[in-house]
Amino acid sequence: MDPLIRLVDVKKCYSSGPTCEIFPLAGVSLDMFQGDRVILLGKSGSGKSTFLNIVGGVDSPTEGRVFFDGREITRMSSQDMAYFRRKEVGFIFQSFNLFPTLTVGENVTLPLDLLGIRDYSRAHELLNETGLNGYWKKFPEALSGGEQQRVAIARALVKGPRLILADEPTGNLDQETGNGILNLIDKICRESDATLIMVTHSPDALWMAPRRYRLKSGVLLEEHYTN
Amino acid sequence: MTIRTLLQFNFKYYRRHTLLALLCLTGISLGVGIVVAVELINDSALSSFESSVDFLSGRATNSIISTFGRIDEKHFQEIWTNRRVTAASPIVDVIANTLETDSEPIRFLGVDPFLDAPFRGWTPQLSGKDDLAAFFAGDPPGAFLSSDLMKRFNLKVGESLTALDAGLEKKIRILGPLTEDSSGGLGENIAVMDISSAQEVFGRIGRLDRIDLLVEGSVSDAFPALPPGLKITDANSRKSTLTAMLYSFQLNLAAMSLIALFVGVFLIYNFSMFSVLSRRQDMSLLLTLGCDSRSLVLAFMIESVVLGALGSLAGVIFGYSIAAYSVGKVSSTISQLYFLVNNLNVGLSLRILGIGVAVGFVATAVGVTLPALEVAVTPPVLGLKRQSIEDRTKSARAYLFMGGAAFFIFSCLSVWASRNSIFWGFASAFGMTTAFALFTPGLLSPFTHYLGVVFKKSHRLLDAFLAARNIGASLSRTSIAVAALAVALSMTIGVDTMIFSFRTSVYSWLEDALKGDLYISPDTTKWDHPLPETLIKKVEADPRLDSIERYLALDVYLQGRPVKLRVIEPEILEKKARFKFVGGEESHKAWSQIIKGGVFISEPLAFKFNLKVGDFLTLDSPDGPKNFPVVAITRDYSSDQGTIQMDRSVYISIWKDDRVQSIALFLKPGASIEDVRKSVAALFKGLERTIVSNHEMRERVLSIFDKTFAPTATLKGVSLLVALLGIATAMMAILLERSKEIRVLGYLGLTPTEIGKMNVYQGLIMGVASFLIAAMCGLLLTYIIVYAINYRSFGWTIDISVNKWIFVETLGLTMAACFVSSLYPSFKLMRASSAASIKEE
Ligand SMILES: Nc1ncnc2c1ncn2[C@@H]1O[C@H](COP(=O)(O)OP(=O)(O)OP(=O)(O)O)[C@@H](O)[C@H]1O
Ligand SMILES: [Mg+2]
Repeated sequence: MDPLIRLVDVKKCYSSGPTCEIFPLAGVSLDMFQGDRVILLGKSGSGKSTFLNIVGGVDSPTEGRVFFDGREITRMSSQDMAYFRRKEVGFIFQSFNLFPTLTVGENVTLPLDLLGIRDYSRAHELLNETGLNGYWKKFPEALSGGEQQRVAIARALVKGPRLILADEPTGNLDQETGNGILNLIDKICRESDATLIMVTHSPDALWMAPRRYRLKSGVLLEEHYTN
Repeated sequence: MTIRTLLQFNFKYYRRHTLLALLCLTGISLGVGIVVAVELINDSALSSFESSVDFLSGRATNSIISTFGRIDEKHFQEIWTNRRVTAASPIVDVIANTLETDSEPIRFLGVDPFLDAPFRGWTPQLSGKDDLAAFFAGDPPGAFLSSDLMKRFNLKVGESLTALDAGLEKKIRILGPLTEDSSGGLGENIAVMDISSAQEVFGRIGRLDRIDLLVEGSVSDAFPALPPGLKITDANSRKSTLTAMLYSFQLNLAAMSLIALFVGVFLIYNFSMFSVLSRRQDMSLLLTLGCDSRSLVLAFMIESVVLGALGSLAGVIFGYSIAAYSVGKVSSTISQLYFLVNNLNVGLSLRILGIGVAVGFVATAVGVTLPALEVAVTPPVLGLKRQSIEDRTKSARAYLFMGGAAFFIFSCLSVWASRNSIFWGFASAFGMTTAFALFTPGLLSPFTHYLGVVFKKSHRLLDAFLAARNIGASLSRTSIAVAALAVALSMTIGVDTMIFSFRTSVYSWLEDALKGDLYISPDTTKWDHPLPETLIKKVEADPRLDSIERYLALDVYLQGRPVKLRVIEPEILEKKARFKFVGGEESHKAWSQIIKGGVFISEPLAFKFNLKVGDFLTLDSPDGPKNFPVVAITRDYSSDQGTIQMDRSVYISIWKDDRVQSIALFLKPGASIEDVRKSVAALFKGLERTIVSNHEMRERVLSIFDKTFAPTATLKGVSLLVALLGIATAMMAILLERSKEIRVLGYLGLTPTEIGKMNVYQGLIMGVASFLIAAMCGLLLTYIIVYAINYRSFGWTIDISVNKWIFVETLGLTMAACFVSSLYPSFKLMRASSAASIKEE
């Protein structure tokens, strides 16, 4: 079986001039199969978000190649990259990033609209599952942080993406609420056999994945823990 | 924290947002520019007219004019020999076009050089014997021209000038320039001829237009009694009567400039408020860091002074250029409609400069200081959250709506009050516009919401759905821009519908009043060029004609104010034309009474002089004042000063004046109009220029009508432009404030094109919203303009007719313009969103 995600010697540098000044990724390679889970650790500024952006087709690496299901996303046009994200990737952010202008229902159904899916039953199902079924017509500002994050998760997962990228999903929440969120992500990923890459600082989240990597000086170091 | 730090802070902000700074300045300068341009044009028309009156009066203390247009030569002797008169000069004063100076008419002055010498510096020095002979008895007659005119049209001594008198060609020999010292800088096209040649060339034998006088002491002592029908004036009273004629023209411009100013102030406010509000976060941070709110507000006030100064300066320059550009058109309109003005000079006066700068400053100061104050008094914690502004807008919406309702009621009451003063008419228009501007947030919010619901339901226009929601979410920005555009558009719709209704009314009046198959009607009717008697005799003799109607229009004075007297032939018109009598006059009765010495008066005249059917009006005649009963009030749009119509035979019997300025030809059934036209045109040289068909005659009147409203179009365009800049800034504002949300859209898989399209939809939706609001407001404005402004100032009834094409055109134009103004922000957005990574807070 081919890996779902393959990174080959991916490098990223930010520069204002001709020379590379910041090197968040200095040659990263990684294979992940359908249903795999990975936790990404690292200090602030080590390049974790950069890594997620590149895998998710939001950002392009300076060098190296990224494959998804055999297709090379590093060769896609920005248009095709958008289509790729639309169909295959669900992002979950630390600060939720719901649209304050849209209702909860509209936030969650937006990815379906983008794909031209008119059947909203999956959106209703997910909101039920997250315990937010009465919130369909409310605006995000009326929700607590934990509730907003649950809506954001429903929005990320409603289209059934094969890849889920979560950037410190519990970073803005207290421990108890955070644990609830982690359980929710775990449950939904399991149901749909999605592949997950999650960035976290929280030791409470380590149980989510057996494989853990630490980004340090631009390279991925696998860490082995025994619980 | 010192003011200097804060100012540096603000300066850096503008340096980083150069485009914004430019938009802001453009908004201010356009607003100021419109006002300055209108003032400049008004000023230059008036001052050029006044200097021309002064110039023509020369050293004369007084002039004698006729209350019905002509002075019999025989009166001169009596006036000249008056002991108190030190000098008197008889003048023939005719304006005519010439073939050589096509678009510029020339004022031909017929003088007696010896009698006129004490009055003017420019009387030509007659040098040689040849000159003298040519001047007094030349064939063709000779004339001296203002040197500037000769230079501009490259006219040479000895060449001939072809003056068009009633359209007929009259040759005049150029004898030379008027002496330089005096005619230089006078800015008027003048030709000086011998008085008797002028009388002969221009068909005024035995008659004078004016007698200039040098009188010692009081005039009323000198002339205890003048011959009947004559009137003594001086330069000042002449200025003021004629300036009063410009009233309607200036009213038109003033109304436009007021509305443009309104839009302008709105936008300046919009721009500066945006520039402050987009720094809201920074300001709140500064407050949190311990900056006191007094210095914060002060820093912003200083900023507004700088912006206001720069913007006003640019605005004055801009206004000056518009004025300089359009002054030619304006002067030809004024010449055509009111009196001759040549070579208008646009001169910037301190007053105008003051007005322009004040407008720029006040609007900028209000626009910057108000929001800065608001931020300063808001606790910094709340200020940090962008959403709190929108929350506040939400609650403000209800208050604004109630304010709008108050203005609406005020506007309706003002319509009622306008019967007392026209001021209330303007107040009403202003109130209505303000009302709708205040309604805007309240209307925009549900509109975008339901529009969003519709787009969402359609499952297709996802970008349009997001766009609608974005507008609804940024109401504090978008509603100002939409309101400004709506104000500009409703002005467009209101004024256009008024002009269209007016034009339709004029057209149907023309259709009823002008029934001749052909007209011999020189353009120059207003310059009083009578048609030669031989011409009329020859035309009348044509066997294909059923009848002709002779027509004469002259300026007479009614209670000291100039009005038009139209001398008509009722026997013919009753059969051929359809007059619209106001107030349901029985038409056969009116026609039979005018023959017996009654007069018809036009609506404006009835309105101005408060006359009703059955009243009497008094006109001066050679036999002293005469009373005429008003037998009917007619619809007549030919003059805003008002017209009196009188039977030709009644006129001739009293005034002993059988001039004819134009004739209408009614053909027998079956006669070919083209054939008659050709054979009549062959009778006299130049007649082909003045013989026109019924259709051409109507077109000619309508083209004058259109010219009157031409400045309106320019101003309308500028204020529309100002408003569209507002839309562009509002979109930039959304872009700046919602950039993070837009990036999240990228994460969800919106392509750059889709994001760009979403932004374009935002512009279009704002355009549609503005248009819908403007359509309602514009129609109401039409009624206000027609009933509370137009009727109150001129007294004529206009039937309101709504033209759907005005709406279609306005909508099309708005959409196109909104599309264009959304292109740049969309382009920026697309570029930004193709590298769509997001920063976490
Ligand atoms: N657009 C950019 N231009 C220049 N440098 C950038 C840009 N985006 C990120 N960087 C730099 O790249 C490095 C990695 O950033 P990244 O956001 O990936 O870190 P991170 O590991 O996610 O940090 P954190 O845990 O704080 O979120 C940082 O040093 C950052 O300053
Ligand atoms: Mg990060």
